[in-house]
Amino acid sequence: MVVKQVVVVVVTSFKYGVLKSFSLILFTLISTQFAIGQSQDFTKVYKKRVLETTEIDFLSSYYSQDGDNAAVSGGIGTEELTDITAAFIVSIPLNDDDILTIDAGISAYTSASSSNVGPFDGNSPADPFVASSGASQSDLWANVTGAYSHSSDDRNDIWSAKLSVSSEYDYFSAGAGGSYTKLFNEKNTELLINGNIYIDTWNAIYPTELRPFAEGGRRLSDPLFTQNTITGNPNYNPNFEEFSNEGRNSYSLGIGFSQILSKNLQGSLSLDVIKQDGLLSTPFQRVYFSDVADSFIENFQLADAIERLPDSRLKIALGGRLNYYINETFVLRTFYRYYTDDWGIKSHTASVEVPIKLNDKFTLYPSYRFYNQIEADYFAKYEAHLSTDEFYTSDYDLSKYAANQYSFGLSYTDIFTKFHISKFGLKSIDLKFTYYDRDNSLSASIISTGFKFVMD
Amino acid sequence: MLTMCLSFLASCVAVKEYDKVNLSDPDMVLASKKADRNITTFHSYREAAVGANGGKTGGGCGCN
Repeated sequence: MVVKQVVVVVVTSFKYGVLKSFSLILFTLISTQFAIGQSQDFTKVYKKRVLETTEIDFLSSYYSQDGDNAAVSGGIGTEELTDITAAFIVSIPLNDDDILTIDAGISAYTSASSSNVGPFDGNSPADPFVASSGASQSDLWANVTGAYSHSSDDRNDIWSAKLSVSSEYDYFSAGAGGSYTKLFNEKNTELLINGNIYIDTWNAIYPTELRPFAEGGRRLSDPLFTQNTITGNPNYNPNFEEFSNEGRNSYSLGIGFSQILSKNLQGSLSLDVIKQDGLLSTPFQRVYFSDVADSFIENFQLADAIERLPDSRLKIALGGRLNYYINETFVLRTFYRYYTDDWGIKSHTASVEVPIKLNDKFTLYPSYRFYNQIEADYFAKYEAHLSTDEFYTSDYDLSKYAANQYSFGLSYTDIFTKFHISKFGLKSIDLKFTYYDRDNSLSASIISTGFKFVMD
Repeated sequence: MLTMCLSFLASCVAVKEYDKVNLSDPDMVLASKKADRNITTFHSYREAAVGANGGKTGGGCGCN
């Protein structure tokens, strides 16, 4: 359009002189550009930003558990553990369509059971029910995830990609993932496909008493055995070999489908298929065999072996959610999941939550969750495995059990964000207490908080 | 699952944007609240089952 008008004006310039024609060209170009600009303004379609302004979520939690079936000490011993986690999630709108999210978190735990990776360095006699004071009693986990998402102009197509790294003393993980979401049927229906890959590496830590039996080790000549007295069977001779492969890879593919069913009801279905391979055993978890004579130092039974699990695992999870808006006060939120894997575990998870809006600022969140699972083919309790078994673990997280969880939360929301810290207004506060009780002695409680700030 | 999805979809009448007020309530979101993330993570450590809930599906040893 611009080119055509310029040509017309140039032809005209031959009749009226160069100066006049130059003025005309300039005028025409300017007026044409102005006209196009006007036209663009008139035809511009209003597009709501995917995210109006920068948001910051600060999440934290305090977790505490206890039980009597520590995997580190072969299915007996304290499972006492506390963990404090804090994370910042910053979501930044790059333009109308794109969002960059940075998620950085840190978690610090103190664990009595993992302290017993090295149970002989405490001040009191070694005992699976007493925490040791060695270096393995605590650790720090740090994670950073960066995610980018792009929405189409009509908001019916959403692409996202993410990269993540996490690290702790004996473990490093790097991950990448992506997803595509398609909305259709007047945004009543949504289909999602996502994939993730994690490339992880162990820095394997083995139980103290097994390290002298690694290749090149001093075996019973090691100071651990010469400076301590072995009771029970004095000819301690564990079945131990270090893992040659310390890598663990995880691949997941998920599809999701959600549907609006009425003005007050919507639901979703999702399927995740997860494949893992590599070192799936935990190197510091002991196993005791029933056909091997027991050896002790102080009150601590020396490991017969460490956990051995297959080097591949296929997990399949099928879940569904159904949410019903009852009225202005109550909402009903439900969730169910069936899980199965090729280690023989099958589980059911069901939860119900009924948010109760007290007013426009405060909402209560009472909820109940039930979980059960049947044990892995390779699980047996303390002293129940045979040394001839190919695979073995006494990790009660892989045992048969049922768990009940009760939660009560309170949420405060201020849509006007009156309270400010610098340029950020406080939009909401979430506080929740959760109690979790397994029927195999483990119980846990977690206090979690969430603060959401939005930029002015 | 595909059959379920299709029958699910076929049985529904499209709700117009102006009728989605209740569905837009924050508590109607078909996902866990962001503030519940640490609870979902602890489940992935203490329970064998993972996936289909928006939580972790890999990465990290989950060994403590």
